[in-house]
Amino acid sequence: MDLLYLIDTIQSIADGVLFGTTYALLGIGFTLIFGVMHKINLSYAAASIGAAYASLLILSVIKAPAIVVFLMAAVAGGAVGGFVYLVGFKFIPLANPLATLMSTVGLLLLIDEIIVHTTAGVPLNYPALFSDVIVPIGPFNLRGDLMFVFVLGCVCMVVLLLLLYRTRLGLATRAVSQQPVASELCGISITRVNVLTFVITGIVGGIAGAMTGAAIGMLSPLLSLPLTVKGLIVTVIGGLGSIPGAIIAGLVVGGLENLFQFLRGVSERDLYIMLLLFVFLVFRPSGIFSLPAGRD
Amino acid sequence: MDFYLGLIQIIGVHTLLGLSAYCVLLTGQVSLAQAGFFAIGAYVAGMLTVLAHWPLIFALMASGVVAGAIACAVGFPALRVKGLMLVVATAAFGEAVRLFFFNFTYQVSRGAIQLGPHGGEGFRQIRYFPENGWSTLDVVLFIWTVVALVMAVLWWMDRSRAGAVLRAVGEDEIAAQSVGINITAVKVSAMTIGGVIAGIGGGIFAHYTTHIEHIQFGIVLATFAIAYPILGGLSNVFGTVLAVIFIQGLLIEGLRFMGDWRNLLFGGLIVLAMNVRPRGLLDAGTLLTLKRLFSRNRERSGA
Repeated sequence: MDLLYLIDTIQSIADGVLFGTTYALLGIGFTLIFGVMHKINLSYAAASIGAAYASLLILSVIKAPAIVVFLMAAVAGGAVGGFVYLVGFKFIPLANPLATLMSTVGLLLLIDEIIVHTTAGVPLNYPALFSDVIVPIGPFNLRGDLMFVFVLGCVCMVVLLLLLYRTRLGLATRAVSQQPVASELCGISITRVNVLTFVITGIVGGIAGAMTGAAIGMLSPLLSLPLTVKGLIVTVIGGLGSIPGAIIAGLVVGGLENLFQFLRGVSERDLYIMLLLFVFLVFRPSGIFSLPAGRD
Repeated sequence: MDFYLGLIQIIGVHTLLGLSAYCVLLTGQVSLAQAGFFAIGAYVAGMLTVLAHWPLIFALMASGVVAGAIACAVGFPALRVKGLMLVVATAAFGEAVRLFFFNFTYQVSRGAIQLGPHGGEGFRQIRYFPENGWSTLDVVLFIWTVVALVMAVLWWMDRSRAGAVLRAVGEDEIAAQSVGINITAVKVSAMTIGGVIAGIGGGIFAHYTTHIEHIQFGIVLATFAIAYPILGGLSNVFGTVLAVIFIQGLLIEGLRFMGDWRNLLFGGLIVLAMNVRPRGLLDAGTLLTLKRLFSRNRERSGA
């Protein structure tokens, strides 16, 4: 095999893994909401893109350096997360899983349309940081903007893991996800945990949306459906409710996606990711890190 | 007038799509693969009438059989998982079908023109209706005959033992299993019936639009398919029809006067409907009230 071809292959995998942190963050969001409420929030990726748009809007009103845009996206993401809980979950009986599924589909369409309506459907440029920096390592080049996205994603995950495993709030969240009734008997307010989960995953989603914008260089409402599908695939491959699984699956899916794009072209790229998912469903239906049996 | 006839055609075809998802939802499974079966039906029926010159009825039967067979084959591995996993698995299958037709080219030259599916450009010139002199009204009548047949079959199934078995699995799998119901067989049969209905619907869709391409069968169509029965309520086949009329007739066509704001209201109204009527527009309670209302009136008129 040609050495140059090999280098290009590895380069594309590396770029994909760096971008994969976005998928990992989205996967964490889906997994956390599913873990706590046993519900699917299909509007999650759309809300993340919406938060990134909102950060652009805030940035156009106040003059601030580009780094602030990520902070704004996180804040906006938290607000959107709370809104999604209020509109899509609060007043709907939770015993009926189909109703919340449908309400989040409605929210997905609503958020997409709000974006299209305010921007007239035109893709907007998103500020990237360190886009002119390129770090050469041997024959490989690491793009500065992707490196920044990767580091930001890793920081975000570490903070989230600390929050979940080192604070009382994290303890309460994990308790509710394991045994809602028992944790309520211990004096944990389930509603409070649910709201906080939505706000926290919203913040993570906002950062993920901003990272997507920074890595691709622009934002478009067309991003939300592919991101929803990729986020769900990452969640399933990683194992439902498993945060380490979501992280690893996100990086793997990101790397493989870029590899297939390099080998087979952009139109067939996603076909192979779907096949990967089917392989997992047939041979390891509970994902990389499966939870103890008896849950669905 | 033609506009309204066209709308009635759309409502008919989307009713078939919604009913295919209804069958699967009865067993408690959320399937986003219905758009994939719809696409398979559309391409199969289109190729049979255009390339092989089959009569429409037989082409529709064939598309139903092919889509049903694929649904059955997909059902076995996919139904090993449930809940969120099944949603993702079926969504991935639907996307895989769409991407397959995005890369699928099979063309035959007939005279000066090329006929058949052509990758990303789609499948043009499915001109069965105009070539055989069907008027728009004929097409409407044909579509609604099929819809009425399918609804009658489902209505009958609902009142027979098969319907009770489907609903038992949907309500509580473990309880159903403990009375000796083979859950896998029930789920796979529901998936197969759904596939057949979606395949027939797709075949009709291909013929009245005359041009199909991969982008029409994306995940949006799949969400619409499950949206109809959920929004309409699962207690009855008529809920699905009601929801199709609500979405296609009222939300999409009826709100046209609102211009750009229509799309905004669309998502918002679905959220509102789910908040106000979480068990669907036509749920069991409403049906009971309606029944009581009618029987009281009858008593009065009798007395």
